Amino acid sequence: MTIARSNSKPSLSGARVQTLVARWWPPIVIFVVGLILWEAAVWVFNIPLFLLPPPSGILEAFFAQPLFLLQIGLFTFGEAVAGFAIGCTLGILVAIVCVRFRGLAEGLVPFSVASNAVPIVALSPLLGVWLGSISPASKIGVVAIMTFFPTLINVYRGLISPSPDALQLMHSYAARQRDIFLKLRLPAALPYLFNALKICSSLSMIGAIVSEFFGGRQNALGVYIKSQAGILRLRECWSGILMACLLGIAFYLVIAACERLVMPWHVSFRQERNGH
Amino acid sequence: MNTPAIIAIEQVSKTYESGGGPVVALQDINLTIAPGEFISLIGPSGCGKSTLMRLIGDLAQPSAGSIRVKGKTPEQARRDRDYGIVFQAPVLYDWRTVRKNVELPLEVMGLNDTPRSERANAMLSLVGLQDFGDAYPWQLSGGMQQRVSIARALAFSPSILLMDEPFGALDEMTRERMQAELLRIWGGAETDTTVIFVTHSIPEAVFLSDRVVVMSPRPGRIERVISIDLPRPRDVTTREAPRFFELVTEVRESLHEH
Repeated sequence: MTIARSNSKPSLSGARVQTLVARWWPPIVIFVVGLILWEAAVWVFNIPLFLLPPPSGILEAFFAQPLFLLQIGLFTFGEAVAGFAIGCTLGILVAIVCVRFRGLAEGLVPFSVASNAVPIVALSPLLGVWLGSISPASKIGVVAIMTFFPTLINVYRGLISPSPDALQLMHSYAARQRDIFLKLRLPAALPYLFNALKICSSLSMIGAIVSEFFGGRQNALGVYIKSQAGILRLRECWSGILMACLLGIAFYLVIAACERLVMPWHVSFRQERNGH
Repeated sequence: MNTPAIIAIEQVSKTYESGGGPVVALQDINLTIAPGEFISLIGPSGCGKSTLMRLIGDLAQPSAGSIRVKGKTPEQARRDRDYGIVFQAPVLYDWRTVRKNVELPLEVMGLNDTPRSERANAMLSLVGLQDFGDAYPWQLSGGMQQRVSIARALAFSPSILLMDEPFGALDEMTRERMQAELLRIWGGAETDTTVIFVTHSIPEAVFLSDRVVVMSPRPGRIERVISIDLPRPRDVTTREAPRFFELVTEVRESLHEH
């Protein structure tokens, strides 16, 4: 009986590099072609600078003051990470409580699902009144609320995902509740947790930047983007947006890297290894 | 029976509440099982065979009657870890290697590192998977996963093995091979393990068991208990013996008797 047996440790072999390249060249090509078309369109149609700057102009503005952009970017990023940490931690804790008290879950989960339809970032001015519109606290508050609900739902679903058969097996070992939680529910919830963390990493950068549009410290990325747009300095505005994108992507990649470290056994990594 | 029964089921009934009124899953079940016996429960859907297995294993409670396991209540037997269970789905943990999956009950029961992995390796050898200890469940075929499930169930030497259609999801050839494997493993386990095996395959029940308990539905009850006098050890020649076919016919006719 032959079964496909692959190494449990992924290595950067020739075949693996080939797979990576094969996977990534289509989107890279599209991206580069898109940039070229954008640049060409600005020249051909003589689009004015205050409407849409060309990529070359944006990159010029970016490299004119990269360290400044990084500095203000990291400030905003700090707000995003702080809100993410608070929101996700609370989401996880409440999810654990909900497993123990299912009645609480029945109340909270539908409410959480509904909150996905509400633009939480619209609460920014409100949080500005409560926590101070200039201070980082109001931005952190917005991000915390935005990240709390998706984390709660996903982690809760993950914790209750084990099948009745799996729970009955634990019952037959006369396992204590603590063992069932640590050995079964928690590992089963990890894929769901990382799913939530990845979603929340994107949400937190968006939340921090947009809530800064409603007011914030001078040297913050969202404030910078808004003020540059306000005085029609579009290349500088776009360079700020570019920094925001880079930081958001970096955040996501860090979470994805943690995911691979913590869960080398997961389905999404298997398919890659078997070359599907 | 000259040895005391390991499982004594007396006047047991089980009724479920459902939307359309109470459903009588089992009624007036009486059965005694001797230590080391291999018993099959066979019957059409709804005859209560899985329910009966769960009542024995304290995964559900009877509505009436009593069950005594080794002289104790099923709950006490469960707390004493007298049951090993194998379901139709292997229910292995994705995030653990094969060896760590077999170690799971031993971890829960507080066994230390070294004796645990030694025991797990011994069980993997018993089921013929000694080379797959470091593999993950998804790398194994369905039959192999079920063997891991059996290894895990036997890891702590339970007195009683409860199996709910464990080979139901496998193809016919693998199924027959697994049946022979099971008899070999059962014979090779140190203690005299009593097996309760739920199935709806007549040849499977006859091939494996000492006695076949034929059940019928609505309400679930025992129709007949047929003794299987085929000699042990049983192998591929057993399946071709005339007596095998006679017994299969006898079981089939009991199943059609209502």
